[in-house]
Amino acid sequence: MRVDEATACRVFDVQRFSIHDGPGIRTTVFLEGCPLRCGWCQNPEAFRNGEAKAMSPEAVVAEVLEDRDYYAVSGGGLTVSGGEPLLHQAPVRALLEEAKRHELHTCVQTSGAVPRANVAAVLGLVDLFQFDLKHMDPERHRGLTGARNERLHENAAFLIDQGASVQFRMPVLPGINDDDENLSQVARFLVGHGVRDLRLVPYHRLYLDKYAALGLEPALKRLEPASTDDLDRVLGRMARYDVTVAVDG
Amino acid sequence: MGTLHPKNAAQKSSLLTAEHWLCMERARYYTEAHRETEGQHPSLRAARALSRVFEKMTVRIEPHELLVGNRSSRLIAPPIAPERGDFTFVFGHLMDELKAFGYRIDPADERLLTEELIPYWSGKTVRDAKIAAFKEHGLASQLNVSPREVRRKLQSFGVRSLVRLVVEEEDEGTALGVLARLPRLLRAVRAGAGDNLKGRGRCTDTQAHIVMGHKNVLAQGFSGIAEAARARRERAETGGDRAFLESVELSCEAMRAFSERFAAEARAQAEAAPDAERRGELLAIAETCSRVPWLPPRTFAEAVQAMWFTQNAAIISYGAGSGITPGRVDQLLFPYFEADVARGTLTREHAVRLLEELVIKLNNNVIIWPNIGGVRLNHLGSDVENITLGGVDANGDDATNELTSLFIEAVTNTNLATTASFRVSKKSPGDFVRQVVAIHRQTSSPAFLNDETTIAAMVRDGYTLEDARQYCLVGCVEPSGNGDTYGATGGSKIYFPTALDLVFNRGKTTFFGNQDGVDTGDPALFASFDDFLGAFYVQLESLVGWVTEATNLRDAIWAERFHNPLISSTIDGCIDNAKDMTAGGARYNFGAVGGGGLGTVIDSLAAIRAYVFDEKVTTMAELGEALATNFRGHEALRKRLLGGPRFGNDLPAVDDLARDLVARFCAMVSARKTACGGHYKASLISYGLNVHEGALEPATPDGRKAGEPLSNSMSPSNGAERRGPTAALNSLARIDHTHIGYGNSLNMRLPVGILKSDKGVESVAHLVRAYFDKGGFHVQFNSADSATLRAAQQRPDDYADLIVRVSGYSAYFTRLGRRIQDDIIGRTEFASCA
Repeated sequence: MRVDEATACRVFDVQRFSIHDGPGIRTTVFLEGCPLRCGWCQNPEAFRNGEAKAMSPEAVVAEVLEDRDYYAVSGGGLTVSGGEPLLHQAPVRALLEEAKRHELHTCVQTSGAVPRANVAAVLGLVDLFQFDLKHMDPERHRGLTGARNERLHENAAFLIDQGASVQFRMPVLPGINDDDENLSQVARFLVGHGVRDLRLVPYHRLYLDKYAALGLEPALKRLEPASTDDLDRVLGRMARYDVTVAVDG
Repeated sequence: MGTLHPKNAAQKSSLLTAEHWLCMERARYYTEAHRETEGQHPSLRAARALSRVFEKMTVRIEPHELLVGNRSSRLIAPPIAPERGDFTFVFGHLMDELKAFGYRIDPADERLLTEELIPYWSGKTVRDAKIAAFKEHGLASQLNVSPREVRRKLQSFGVRSLVRLVVEEEDEGTALGVLARLPRLLRAVRAGAGDNLKGRGRCTDTQAHIVMGHKNVLAQGFSGIAEAARARRERAETGGDRAFLESVELSCEAMRAFSERFAAEARAQAEAAPDAERRGELLAIAETCSRVPWLPPRTFAEAVQAMWFTQNAAIISYGAGSGITPGRVDQLLFPYFEADVARGTLTREHAVRLLEELVIKLNNNVIIWPNIGGVRLNHLGSDVENITLGGVDANGDDATNELTSLFIEAVTNTNLATTASFRVSKKSPGDFVRQVVAIHRQTSSPAFLNDETTIAAMVRDGYTLEDARQYCLVGCVEPSGNGDTYGATGGSKIYFPTALDLVFNRGKTTFFGNQDGVDTGDPALFASFDDFLGAFYVQLESLVGWVTEATNLRDAIWAERFHNPLISSTIDGCIDNAKDMTAGGARYNFGAVGGGGLGTVIDSLAAIRAYVFDEKVTTMAELGEALATNFRGHEALRKRLLGGPRFGNDLPAVDDLARDLVARFCAMVSARKTACGGHYKASLISYGLNVHEGALEPATPDGRKAGEPLSNSMSPSNGAERRGPTAALNSLARIDHTHIGYGNSLNMRLPVGILKSDKGVESVAHLVRAYFDKGGFHVQFNSADSATLRAAQQRPDDYADLIVRVSGYSAYFTRLGRRIQDDIIGRTEFASCA
């Protein structure tokens, strides 16, 4: 079947029975392409361009619908992840529209590192944004990901102002972004936007094999996984600001 | 959850450290009485033999027991019923193996066994009569080849499969010593072949697999049952009817006398009790045993004792390995619990203590499998006394109660391999499934059963709606009536891959080599996949024909010679009909035919369709040659076959093969009548024996090599699931489970570490709910612990479906690098200590 180039979704993985990527049981669709190069990225397949399978939004949603009975029971649905899923506006918009035609609950995992227009384009189609706060210091952010974070934070503010449902997530990178200073800034940022909860995504090393397979060199290969102690410390710091923390396994 | 009561912890510890013994008391006294009753009615012979056993066997009360009733002279020693023939077969051929795997026997007992019991029973057992009948009717395996030829064939299947014939997979290390005794084992295989039907099929010596009528014992006591038999005897018309009813009265009296022996023992121990507390407990035991199960219980403690004592006595009466089932324990005991709590005479803590002790006792049951293909030793609880919890009541309303929760607590605290079945209905409380999933965090996996599907299946098979709603699980996951059914839910089985073998060899099996099946023509000439499928169903029909004919022959032997008036007395219908359960006395009668290796055969059929007929990458002739040579010189083809479409991946074209096969198999089975007038019901369950079942099965077109395990139960083949649990459940749900009257089981491996988080537990509960909404019958989860992960490192092919999943990331465990695998094992171990 011919796939319309304009709305073709470059899908590098479809993960059914995802339980840590939004409410309920979900199917996570991973879209290729990302403006950032985070040293701890567990999905380096996303760095490629145009290599992933081109699928029409209809085909993607048809696959997602195979698990509709599980969404119905659990309050789950479709999660679009990446890469940066909002990078290519037309495909992701078409995908979310198609999902909404089938009344799927939709979640988008974004770094916010895209033009405002891309965010605005999907606003009414997304039930939940999961928004990553990687580091609060603009220069440190650039060092870690390749881009400063001001525009990202403006997009976050925009989503909140527009009344979108936003969950903030923070990758816990021991020794990199879990110092008291950064944690305090994260907390102040959240509180400043009237947000009182944060989801933590502990760093792990399970993904390192992927780099070898792709012939890439992981930047943080020596970083130790986040331990229970690390998480407890984050939890304690956040509690001072009255921010509730949950851990995404 | 709490912790195990210290007195129960001591009992558990005794159980875990106890030696395994072979005790001859049951065998000896039964035989002694049997010799004296030559020529009498079989019901009376059985009642007299049982009375003798209860009168003479050792009565033990262990130091911390509140519930009493022992099986034999040792803490762990399964009661042995020589009249069945399965025990005498194993003792006659495999005593060295039993000893090698830790069973001990007193020298005097061994002399008694070899000099008296085995010679006396030789030619008289159910097994002997069964094998003679199979021969007479042309159903026996004609293994007319020399031991050398058997050895050659087995060796061509590989050493691993040989080892699997004798022991559990995990015992392979120890098993290598077994190879030294190979010639002797081969003789046993040959002798054991009498048990195999021609071609490949199994019809065990035992029937049983029955839900006890505890409801009747609790309501009437054995005094009431005896009274009913007496009243019925007054209007009995035939001598046979009178004899059966008299045997019931004798059995009830025997129960009373047996229980009185425990009362006396408790009083004697009270005299010498170490402290006042134990003295009080022993005096209470004495009082309870003087009353129940002869009279109906008045309190919760009496009810638990009455139920346990009756359960234990039934197991002694039938012998170990009989699948005698307590049933809906939370329903049976609840009225007593409720009344005691209302009266203020029972605390929740004390109730849990009693239930924990009950659960420990249920785990004492050990099997000595009759067949060389499945010697299972040191497996506590392997002779399954499945407890059924939850579900709806006779009116269709939710029946979960506080005792359901207390049983969950008891099972969790006990942390043994308890077989517990949880009935889930649309009316079950919202939290129920989640609560049961959470059990996995601490102990072995509970089974989930779908009320809506099971009740529909039971009604389809002839139960009234009210009776169907009271179903209980027998053995592994076989639904049967609540004390109203002679079920014989296990024991007879065929293997779907055998039908493939018969097609490829035009009616011969690779192993036995005789023209046992139908010649369905030269497979090389099949013009289409439908031709192949047509031939396959012809062979399947003949397998179903043999196994049901054989089972009827076996059942006739039980009906004619070996009754069980004790168990019969508790089953609805037997007293009214004045007939033993083996002779058709029960209200409902059915037989079972299991089908094994569904995943293996569906993958094989899908491969044949794809590669022979659609893509034409191979031919029937080449494939036949590859199978006959166990893929020697056909490695490339095997690789291709292994990469073929697989059942369990939500592929409608493959799943539809499974849907059709199951529907047709169930229809073939249900069309056959049992000796007692009911019909056969199909099941798709492996009883944990799929490893052994594969040992004599040649190579299959899914790329599986000869002797490797078959797929288990209704689950996809090991490692076949590549699209996660929801895809596998979707595949399974394409099959209509209401056709499968005796159940199917789906054993699903959970993603590593998923139960660590509450979200994970909740998501697994949602999986169950969604699967059941789609009509699934049963699901059970294995949560991978570090031992599983280590096994996966060693045998990656068997664990290819093991998923590691964290937020936004997912991988198959066996495809990760060793260092990362070790990392995950470390994390899992940490979690399990936490």
